[in-house]
Amino acid sequence: MPEINEITKIRRKVLTEIAQMTFEGRLQTDVENILQSVVTDEGPRYRCCVHKERAVLQDRIKSALSQPMNSTIPEAAAAALDGNIAPAPIIQVLPVACDQCPLDRFIVTDACRNCLAHSCIASCPKKAISVVANRSFIDKSKCVECGLCKRSCPYGAILEISRPCERACELGAITADKARKAVIDYDQCVHCGACKIACPFGAISDRSMIVQVIQRIKAGRRVYALLAPAFIGQFGVQVRPGQVRASLLKVGFHDVLEVSVGADAVAVEEAREFIERTKTKGGLMTTSCCPAFVGMVEKHLPSMKENVSSLVSPMVAAAMNVKKNDPEGIVVFVGPCIAKKSEAERYPGIVDYVLTFEELATTIVGAGVNVTEMTASEFASAGSKDGNIFAKAGGVLQAVENVLAQLAPDVQVAAERCEGLGNCKKCLQEIEAGKRSANFFEGMACTGGCVGGPGVLTDSRVTAKLVENFANAAPEKSAVTNPNSEPLETLGLHRHHKTSGAADS
Amino acid sequence: MLTVELCMGTSCHLMGVQDLVAVLETLPAEQREQIEIKGVTCFKNCGKGPNIRINGELISNATPDRLLEILQANLA
Repeated sequence: MPEINEITKIRRKVLTEIAQMTFEGRLQTDVENILQSVVTDEGPRYRCCVHKERAVLQDRIKSALSQPMNSTIPEAAAAALDGNIAPAPIIQVLPVACDQCPLDRFIVTDACRNCLAHSCIASCPKKAISVVANRSFIDKSKCVECGLCKRSCPYGAILEISRPCERACELGAITADKARKAVIDYDQCVHCGACKIACPFGAISDRSMIVQVIQRIKAGRRVYALLAPAFIGQFGVQVRPGQVRASLLKVGFHDVLEVSVGADAVAVEEAREFIERTKTKGGLMTTSCCPAFVGMVEKHLPSMKENVSSLVSPMVAAAMNVKKNDPEGIVVFVGPCIAKKSEAERYPGIVDYVLTFEELATTIVGAGVNVTEMTASEFASAGSKDGNIFAKAGGVLQAVENVLAQLAPDVQVAAERCEGLGNCKKCLQEIEAGKRSANFFEGMACTGGCVGGPGVLTDSRVTAKLVENFANAAPEKSAVTNPNSEPLETLGLHRHHKTSGAADS
Repeated sequence: MLTVELCMGTSCHLMGVQDLVAVLETLPAEQREQIEIKGVTCFKNCGKGPNIRINGELISNATPDRLLEILQANLA
């Protein structure tokens, strides 16, 4: 997590104001005030003028309300208050925000010698290059960024500068269109959120469901907050878990539960599946808890789909548990992850809403609650050490190995693990090609694991350690023996990726 | 001696008070010794965070650069 920059502050101010207005029942009448309060006439200015900034802000507000970009702000507020969520992608390029990003991908440098060959001019299919002031000149209005000139120049005098979003996407899912706007290819995108974090203009946004969640709370529904194990330290390094729980109860959540309990069930069942596989087909099995990693395998390495463990994620396991005990309850998963928003859509009626830690914190502030001022109640994790360590890269592997050591100490584990989708993809390809040998693989889309996710509030270098301490302090030491954990077979929750092609799209 | 109070409340946490803490933590030892650092839960100025108070003076919308500026002007 880099420094809290202006983009982050603006996004959080918008979310906080929306949350506050929703709690106070004045979103419909006051929503447009945000245009004045977040972008003030006095500045500071980040764009050409105040009007442009407010136009961008309108897009941010609609994204924060999960409403379509072609709606008006009052329409968007009304729809969100009614609980509607527009059927739009989880991550979007905000149309107005990206329009102001005219980065020239190809630049002719001083190394250009205005040579006689003019390979650049000859190579350009759009006739965009001419000679101006004794040097090649690229006419931006004609250039389509194909890169042929760069490749043709014998001096290497043409420089390629990539957009931050393009560079951040390790799956090549975001590119500039002919009008130079960033476009996400949703057949390639796995909603990891790397582009959102990378864009210095904040032009990429994931949609938020805070208003819909607050409305459910205000309607008196039993709304359960399911905290991902990465929640430790997110609301301040000194904040105790009991203060987080007390805050959420004060905000109006009916109960606060830990996803680490679901992670325990997953660790046990994943180990069982691994044992089963080593007895039958053998080969490689990968983890399945990171939705961006699973999405990457499905979309980019389809031949390896069968290698992904058939288990649901800890989120889904924990949510199933809630629904079993309270079918009318509303489940809100809270985590560091944007891809979970996409994963939840595959489980309608199980995971009702997904919020990031950032969105939850703005909701807490919007409710007038300050976590640091809450008295901490006793908080002992219901999850075991195994389940809690899932939040940290290497933790899932560690948990599964711990379970295997108890259930089947004779089974040989040759494990590999990777952080980052590009690294995961490369490593899996090498395993498939026989260049590496492994029978177990932990895949994490984010560097550092979940604590490094795009929705976190505290630097992962700090929280990784805090998560480890919290896991070590858990009263239950093993997923196998944790009495709080519901076995997955009783929930009936294996995914069947052989037959569920449509649902997995 | 300079007293720097930082609001660690949820609103200021969202606005990046931890970046200001990082500034203080990375000061050279001889400067760090001249500062008394205190955490506060709220300055009742939410929405204009991060809020800090230096020798009694409240500073809203504090940034690492602004904090460094004030420190350099006041420290030996």
